[in-house]
Formats: sequence, C-alpha cells, structure tokens
Amino acid sequence: MAKKSWHLSRRDLLKGAGVALSLPYLNAMHGSHAIANTVEEETPKRMMVGYIAYGTYMPDGPSGATNQGNSDKPHHDWSWWPCKDAGDLTFNKSSEPFRELKDYVTYLRGLDHKGGWKMGGHSSGDVFATGADMTETEKTNNISIDQIAANMHGHKTRYSSLVLGTEGGTGSYGSSKTLSHRGPGRPIPSMHKPQEIFNRLFNPYAGKGVEQVRAGLKREASILDLLMDHSRSFHNRLGNEDKQKMDEYLESVRAIEQRVERTSQWTHEPLPNVDTKGLNLEVAHKDAQEYIRCMYDLVYLAFVTDSTRYATLMLESEQSSTSEMWNYATYVLGYKGATHDIAHKRPADYSGQWDRWRAEQHAYFLKRLRDTPEGEGNMLDNTVVLWGSAHPHASHSTRNYPIHLAGGNRLGFRHGRLHEFIGDSKVPLANLFVSMLNAVDVPVEKFADSTGNLSQLMMG
Amino acid sequence: MTTWSRGIVLFQLVLMCTLAVVKAAPIASGTEGYKSQVKPFFKTHCVKCHGPTRSKGKITMHSLNGDLSSGQELEKWESILNMLEFGEMPPIDEPQPTKGDVQAVINWIESGMRDYVNQAGTRHAEQTTRRLTNVEYQNTLGDLIGFELDVIEDLSKDPVKPYEFNNSAELMRIGPEQIDRYLEVARRAMASVIVDPGEPEVHKTRKEWPKHGLYRGLAWDEIGVYGNSRHTAAHGLGLKSFPNTGDFRIRIKTSAILPPGYDQVPLRLIMGNDIQINSSTRQVREVGVVNLSNSPDEPKIIEFTGRIENFPALPGRVVNGTRQPDRMSITPQNIWNNGSLNDRYSYGNLRNIDLPRVVLSWVEFESPITDVWPPAHHTAILFESPLRESDPDAYIRAVLKRFMTRAYRRSVSRDEVELFARVYNLVKPELQTIEAATRETLSMVLVSPQFLYHTESDPAMDAHYAIASRLSYFLWTSMPDDELLDLAARQKLDDPTVIEQQVLRLLADERSEDFVRNFTIQWLSLQKMKTVPINRDLFPRFLYYVPAGERAGTEMPYLPTVRDYMIQETVRFVGEMIRRNASALSIIDSDFAMLNQRLAAHYGVEGVSGVDLRPVQIKPEHNLGGLLTHGSVLIGNGTGTAPHPIYRAVWLREAILGDDVPEPPAEVPALSDSAGESAEQALTIAQLLARHRTVESCNDCHFRLDPWGIPFENYNAVGQYQPKVPKEGTRVSVFQKAKHTDMNGYQDYLASINTVEIPADARVPHGPKIDGLQELKAYLLIDRQDDIVENVVRRLLSYSIGRELNYRDRFAVAKLVEEMRASNHGMRDIIVSICKSDLFKNASPRKED
Repeated sequence: MAKKSWHLSRRDLLKGAGVALSLPYLNAMHGSHAIANTVEEETPKRMMVGYIAYGTYMPDGPSGATNQGNSDKPHHDWSWWPCKDAGDLTFNKSSEPFRELKDYVTYLRGLDHKGGWKMGGHSSGDVFATGADMTETEKTNNISIDQIAANMHGHKTRYSSLVLGTEGGTGSYGSSKTLSHRGPGRPIPSMHKPQEIFNRLFNPYAGKGVEQVRAGLKREASILDLLMDHSRSFHNRLGNEDKQKMDEYLESVRAIEQRVERTSQWTHEPLPNVDTKGLNLEVAHKDAQEYIRCMYDLVYLAFVTDSTRYATLMLESEQSSTSEMWNYATYVLGYKGATHDIAHKRPADYSGQWDRWRAEQHAYFLKRLRDTPEGEGNMLDNTVVLWGSAHPHASHSTRNYPIHLAGGNRLGFRHGRLHEFIGDSKVPLANLFVSMLNAVDVPVEKFADSTGNLSQLMMG
Repeated sequence: MTTWSRGIVLFQLVLMCTLAVVKAAPIASGTEGYKSQVKPFFKTHCVKCHGPTRSKGKITMHSLNGDLSSGQELEKWESILNMLEFGEMPPIDEPQPTKGDVQAVINWIESGMRDYVNQAGTRHAEQTTRRLTNVEYQNTLGDLIGFELDVIEDLSKDPVKPYEFNNSAELMRIGPEQIDRYLEVARRAMASVIVDPGEPEVHKTRKEWPKHGLYRGLAWDEIGVYGNSRHTAAHGLGLKSFPNTGDFRIRIKTSAILPPGYDQVPLRLIMGNDIQINSSTRQVREVGVVNLSNSPDEPKIIEFTGRIENFPALPGRVVNGTRQPDRMSITPQNIWNNGSLNDRYSYGNLRNIDLPRVVLSWVEFESPITDVWPPAHHTAILFESPLRESDPDAYIRAVLKRFMTRAYRRSVSRDEVELFARVYNLVKPELQTIEAATRETLSMVLVSPQFLYHTESDPAMDAHYAIASRLSYFLWTSMPDDELLDLAARQKLDDPTVIEQQVLRLLADERSEDFVRNFTIQWLSLQKMKTVPINRDLFPRFLYYVPAGERAGTEMPYLPTVRDYMIQETVRFVGEMIRRNASALSIIDSDFAMLNQRLAAHYGVEGVSGVDLRPVQIKPEHNLGGLLTHGSVLIGNGTGTAPHPIYRAVWLREAILGDDVPEPPAEVPALSDSAGESAEQALTIAQLLARHRTVESCNDCHFRLDPWGIPFENYNAVGQYQPKVPKEGTRVSVFQKAKHTDMNGYQDYLASINTVEIPADARVPHGPKIDGLQELKAYLLIDRQDDIVENVVRRLLSYSIGRELNYRDRFAVAKLVEEMRASNHGMRDIIVSICKSDLFKNASPRKED
C-alpha cells in the first residue's frame, strides 16, 4: 500500500528539523486573511487544557511532591520532572521533546485539587478542569475552566468552545470522558471522531447555501418556541423528582434556541476555507500516534481559523478498559500489557518511554502553535496550554499532580522554570486556574478552592 | 469420586435441606431495644474500627440514631445489615459474636426498617423520568418507522459504569449536544422514510466469476478460508452506483466444496468500504451469514436484504477540485474457523484446498427495491386517503395523530396533535411539498420529550400504557407493539394472567435478544474483554494475526473473532437459561455450554462444527459449566498474560454475589503485580498478593477479596483450563511455528513449558478452605445460594424499572426471592414474577395532587 501523504509530510517536517510548514492545511490566501483580520481587531487570547491519565513516572518521589531522601542521587533520566530542583529548567530523556520550547514551558510541582483528594484512586480525573469537591458538596461536578471563559468571551467566535476527547461522550461520575462541564450535572460530551469534528467545525452547513441555512434556522427557531411551550406543560404535570430531570431537557432546548440565533448571525461571516489535504480524518485508534496528532491538529485548526478560543482535549481517561485507549502503550511501544498496567507496575523501561511518547505528541502541538506567526509574535504566545494528570507516580494517589503549563507568553506568563509548591508554600491548583483565566481577560478572583493566584508565574 | 460428581452431590444436598434457621432471641423493637441490646452489640464488636477513632470503609456506628422510624440514616443501616448478612464482619481475627446474636440484630434492624417503609408508603418518589438509552432510541426509531436504521454511532456515547445498568435517571442525561444529534438523526430518518413522488432511479450491479482460472488450486469463483487471489470472488465487487437511501436486495448463486469429513461452510457477506489488509480502519458491516452444504452440482440462489444507509460508503476523494462519487463494495468471506487458522505459513496457502470452500458464481445488487412503490414505510405515514385532496387540514391531523400515538406510546390529545399541526403550517409554505413538510414536522415530534423520554410518570400516560411501555422496554429494549398498545387501550394490563402471557410472548420474540444482550453485558461488565491486550508469545494461537505487509502481527481485521464469539457465548448462555427456564443457579454450574466450532476448539470440546452457537452437553473433564468459566469473564478479568485474582474476585463479588466492592481508595499504593513484563514473572501474582496483604492498609480489603479470586488460578488469561504453568524463574522457550506445526505440536509445546501445578487454594473469609474452581462452585451453590438468587432478582428488577434499588425495595425483593424458591429459581419465572410485582407495576410514581 502506498504511504499516506500524511506520513510523507510528517517525515518532511522532521527532516526539516523545526522548519515547519506554517499552514499546510489552510488555503494560504484565506488563512493569512483570517489571521490578518483578527490581529487588526483583537489578538485572540486562547486557552487549552489537555489531560493524560494514570499519572507519570517519578521514580525518585512517587508522591509527586519531592525528591527528598535522594539528595545525593542525580536526577533520574526518565523521571517525568525534567530536572531535580525548582529553578531554571534543564531537560532529561523524558522531557527532551520540550527542550527547544524551554522559553515556553513551566513545570509545577505540588499542585492539586482538594476536591479530588477523597475520590477513588481512578476517579479524580473528573475534576481536573473543574476543581469541584465531588465527594462532599459538589457531587455532580461543576463548571470547568474553559466554560467560564466561554461564557464570557465565547460569543466572539463561531463556536464558544471545543470539547474533544479520545473516547467520546460524557462518561459517568467517577469515570468522566470529558473535561468540560457547563455546571453541576451538566457534562459536555466530548467528540472523538476526527471526520465528524472536522465537519462540525468547518462544514457546518453540510453543503447547503447560506440563504437556505438562514431560512432553515429561522424556521427552527419558531418551531423550538412552540416545542418549549409544549414541553413546559408536560414538565408541570410531573412530580418534583422528575421535574428536575425535565429541567435538563428544557435548558437544553433553550440553549439550542440561543445557539440557533447565534449560528444565524454567524452565517453573515464567511466560513474559513480549510482543506482536508494531508489530514487523515478516517484515522482510528490503532494508528495511535496518527490519531492523537490528528486530534491536536483539529484543535490547532480551530484556533488558527479563530473558530474558537477555548478547547479541552481529554487525551486519556483512567477508566478506559472498554476502549482502545487501553492498548495505546501496546500500539506505540509494543508494551505487552494494558496502558493502565504501566501506572501500577511502573516498569523502568516502558514508563519513561510512555511519558516521552506523550510528551512528543504534546510538543508537536505546541510547536505548531509556535511556528505559526500571529501579530508580533506567534500563536503560542497568545495561547495558554495546561497539560497534566490528576495522579502522580503512585497511581492511586490523588495529590501532587504532574502539571505542565505552556505558552501565553504575550498574555503575561513567564516560562523556563520548575516551580515547587510544597509544605508551607503549597497552594491549590485552582490558583493557577485564576491566573490562567485572568490572562485570557476573564477577571475572576476565585475558582473552586483557590486562595489567590500564581503571580510568581507572571511577568513582574 | 471426581470433583464433578462431588459437585452434583452437593448440589442435590442443597435442594434437599431447607435453610438452616438460626435461633435468635428477639430484641425489643424501637429505641428501647437499641439501647438495651443493639448498641451494646455494636460497642463490643464494631465501634473499635467504625467509631470515633477510626472509620474504616467510611462507616461509623457509635453515633447512630437508634430510632429507625425517623427514616434517618436508613442507607447506612442497610449497609450494616448487608455486612452482617454477608457474614464478613466482624473480621475473622476479631472476637466473634454468636450466630444467634447476629441474627437477632439483623432481625431488629429489618423489622424497624419494615415498619418505616410500611408507614412511609409511597411518599418516596423515585426519579424514573429519563431519556431513552441509545440502544432503546435506535430500536424505538426502527420500530416506529418500520425498518432498522443504525444511528447509535451518530449519537453522543452513552455512559458505561462497571456492574451497573445505564438505563437509570442518574446516567441518562440530556444536554444541548444530544438534542442537536437527535434532531439530525430524526431528519435523516425522515428523509429515508418519506419518499418523494415519482419512480426512483434503480441502481444495479452484477458480477459473475468463471469456474476456470485456477490459482494454487482454487478457481476464480472459489473462496477458501484464507480467501483467494485478486480478481476472484473472494474480492467481491464494487458497486457501480447506489442510492443514498432505500432498501437493497443482494442475490447470490452459491454452493460449497466440502472435503471428506466436513459438513458445512459458512459464507458471510459484508458491505461497505473495500477492505484492505494494510488498513484496519476501513468501515464495513455484515449483511448476513449463510451456512452452505449444497455441492456445486446443486447451486442455491440466496437473497439478502437491508437498508443501504446502514452501510458505510467510502467517501469519494477530491481530485482536481471535484469530488469523486462515494464508493461501496460487497465482500464475501469464508468464515469457517476451527481455531487453527493462524498457521497460514506453516501450511501455506495450500491449506485453502484441504478445508471447506465456498463457490460464488455471481452476485447481484439492486437498490432501491420498487416491488411496491411508494414503499410500505412511506404509506404507513402518508397513507392513501381521499381526505388528502378534499381536506388537507384534516388529512395532516390524521397523519399526525397516527404517528404521534405510536411515537408517544400512548393516545394523544387533540391539543397535542394541534401543536404539531401548527408546526406543519409553519413549515409548509417554505418547504412546499406535503412530503417535505411532513418530514420536518415529524422530525420535531421525534425531539419532543414524550418521544425521547420514558414518560410513565406523566399523568397523561394512562397506567395501562405505562405498563405496556415498561414491559416492552424491559424485554425488547424498544417501544410496545400494536398488541401491547391495544391491550393498554382496552385496559387489560393490570390482569396478572395477561401480563404473564405478554411476558412469555415478548420473550419468545427475537426482539428480546437486545434485552438479553444489554442486560448480560452490563450485568457482568463484559465489554472490557475486547480490549485486553493478549500476550502473543504465550498464546500464539488465540488471535489471528495479519501474516505479512505493513500491518504484519496486528490482529486480523474485518473477521468475526474468537472474542466476538465469547461475548456471544455468555449472552446466549443467559438467553438459553431464560428459554429453558433453568434455575438462576445455572450461572454457577450447568450441564451445558453455548458453543460453536471455534469456541469448542478453544475449550477442548469435540464434535461441534459450524459457526452457529448452540447448547452443547458438557462433561466433567471439560472443566466448563456456568458463567465462571466463560472466556469473556476470564479474559476480561485477567491481564492478557496471566490470570488476575483481584479482578476475578471483584467480578465474582460484584456480578455474582451482588456485593459492592469499593474502588481502591486514594493514597493506597497499587499492587505492583508484574504481569505483562515477562512470561515467567507473570505467574507470581498470588505470591505478590500474599506480600500485599502483609501491609495493613491493603490487608483490610484484600483479606476479604483475594480468596475469591485465587480458586480461578487454574484458568489462564485466555480463559482455558490450565492447571500447569511454567516454573517460576525459568525462561520459557518461544513457540516456533516451523517446529510446532499442527495442533498436536502446539499441545506438545505447551506441555514442554507448563510444568508446575499452580496453587488455587484459599480460605474463604468465615468459610472453608477451597481448592480450585470446582470446589468454589460447590461452596457457592450451598453456602451462597441465597445471595446468588437474590442478586439475580435484584439485577433483573433494577434493569426492568430503570433505577438502582435501595433499602425501601428490600422487602419487595425478599418477597420475590421467596416466591422463586418455590419454583426452583426458574429464570423465566423470575422475569414473569417481576413483571407481575407491585414494584414493577408502580415503578413510576405520579405527582400527588
């Protein structure tokens, strides 16, 4: 079988040693036009959250907090932490893919969400982007960081946010398949099929003319009005328990009504002309690397076309035993076991390689952003990217997450260091969320259990 | 005496003796008894670990309010009750109370709880209004429009929770994204159902293969177990063109070439993308399977039908700015399979000739089918009527009423029809034709909550209609049919005799297969077995691998695999239990297994041929029987390299004993088992467990967990009985295809590496020492009979009413279990009793005015 064009371009990219193709998928004319436009009006300030499951390899300090007791030993080559001590970053084998991004990345040690502490050893991923106190007061989770930003600025783009995952759907409590939540009991199903995501982003009218779409939307709005009345009378007939259930429905229809209006407005803006050339949208999990990169590419495309400014991507989930994600380490490394076993056994050889593979994919995405000029800098300068897991090395532990922050240099972030928040200096991960939100012009003072912000990450 | 006959004897013993009743001096009811006896009992036996200083398992018992009639903390009381009944607490190394004392406390809690439940009556409203699951949605849509339409892939994925059913209000949520999808799917469905006026263009393709052109002994019209070369029947045909929507008909002329000793060969047709061995991502779907035994002298003509939109077309590529047409292919496959087909290269392709072959002379494709036009599914909605011309308003109301009555699963009011008549009038001017306007209007009916939700608690749904829906969603995973709706209209569905007749009718219908499948897969948490990575070095024959090319060594795509058959084995086993009305205890042991040739080869049962699963009588030496030995269970709860006693213990306690095993708590170090790293280390989990148990925080749970998993150790990671394993610490020699050519050679190889008997003995907490699965089964059948039957009743009941059970249901469950004892726990009887029970009948509370 002939090599896919995709393979070729990736190889070319690698050969070019960092001289990346700037906009290989975009119609060049239109792409530059779109960017020029947005720069003129307002440089988009973007945010992205990615999640990896089962923690990472930290042989020197399984609790994720410290290297204590190993003070004489050199830093482990395959530790997920790039270097031993807080301060200026140096890179080991595991973090190598980020070496050339040094000025764009920060590692944070000792942060976590208190709300996830008491969740089972396989469940705290639920609150990674929400910080909700799911064992006590917020049992149905709560709003996620991307949705807070989307609520404020989402109207500026065609889509208020983009919610992606590798397994799709919402999952259930304790085994979430999405990072994004509108609020308590309102998980947003993640999309996981590249073709479908692409179509929804860039071909929403399914080939229909704009006039036709507008007429259809107008019709739909009137019908939804009627439907709402109809449903309300049904709602009122129900007992209290079931009423709550129907609220979900009514809210959803209301949300659709609003969206219809919004979509209608956006029909006045031309759709970005994005070519699928070089994108293998039919890729499946068995081509693990190609699939993951395709998902990252879709986020990139959504950003570069300014279709949305906020994205979440649940790259992995802890409860994936019924999904192909269970086999990713087998597909990419030839590991003879489930990906989850790496977390439990932490085999010396595979653990580091698995982390490194994940780092390579993430670095691929960051480099694409960095290599795309925007305004006076590049896209990564205007995009803050959080990446990490809700477990450290000890796989059942729910504290001291491995946290990696990248980009947003022009939003105020200063990078190139490992920060430690241990002992007296420990603060909630939510403090970082406050800083991230502030950086994208969402002036909140508090998020979940936050006690302030992380000003030490910001330019003085 | 063999272990088997011992099992049988013990089993008979169970049937003979009635339950031993432990004498218990009654404790005074209410707070008085609490103060005088219950509290002191807790203080002596429980509070040390579940009190102010420690609260193991998050349970504290020192501060309990002893007044059950207040209705407070009853969930907590129930978990205490369960613990005492299960006999797990206090732990074995603590001073033990007498059985009589325990029973007295159990009785005291139960009676207090019963008093409360009786007095509180139906005041407690359970949430039962919930959206349809994706499977229910797809089936309902299909029954409503008159043909099957695959839509699940177009909906947001339903949540899955291990050992729980997802048809509950908690899990069946709706958000704007779902409504979006529902609307898209509804519009697509309506585009298929209602056709435009005029005759459609009919698309036809035909291909014929000549008898000659021998290639390695196979003619062009033959298909061997490894297929055939290019341009032969094995590569099927690409369709010249096909419609977007419509029924299709495929006709084939076919026969079988059967070498001596073979009696049939299965031919499977798939349609969709053309398949390429170098890609695993092509989309295809099965058209059908037919078993052939007719010789080429007596060829048969066979017809398959279906809906074209259910088959995935390969999207046309864009060449020079123009999009090429989508492509679709039909591929025939010879799926004869005896478990030895991974030896392609040791036998060479010549093996094609030694094994059954399919002859395919020609294939014809035609779509849409215009025998009747417009098709029946169209005229079922837009029916012929003089009104259509004379009084269009009345006609459209009649159309709506007819459709909505079925979509809502109840009679509809004039107002409800009127609403959608308004929708119709709103869209008609723009969409112009009656067909287009009806499509849009009915699409809107399909996103109304009365269609999307289980609405039995809506007072607009008469109680009889509510029962009709509950019965059909329980036993068919779909909407009620005309007979049920008719009985509801005639107010007959509160008659127990009628209900029993209907349950038996529904179960006998093939639509009940979805019930059995959904119920079984979720109950036993089977789905995970499909993604367990199988260690190819240890089990080189288990999966079939692509022999060469870019994807060499990956699992052979597009064919039904042994894992698919294993899921079927378990699902069909439960189906067979219902069909036979076998005892619920058959889940522990049975004298039959559901097998086809591939599965029989895997388990070492002889004399089974063909792909169809059927009940096969089994013998003791097969080490099968019940669910515990199923490959689906054993693989799903293993690592793909080694058995995993913890996974299997959790499975047994959750799925079979109905016990709630907590997730591993946060901050407890994981068991560092070594499975997966190398063959020899893989077998030391039991020892690692022993080490794990020496840590106190681990021991608390594992002491109670592990003994349930260790008796499974004689069953390997691919679900075969394997009492011997490689010696620990030795490196096993690798399987060599060239040397170990056939099945015997393979057995020799296995015998050469597996030299040490693996221990499978453990002491069940508060129970006897058990060695191996046969003894575990015998123990379960005697000592855990009640737990097992109650669990089966609870699972079925919970699935049938779409919610988790709680302490208030306890007494209804006990009553059902009692009834079942009288009928030897017949599986079908249990289902009938559930459907007749008050709990089922009143499952949807109405708003009180």
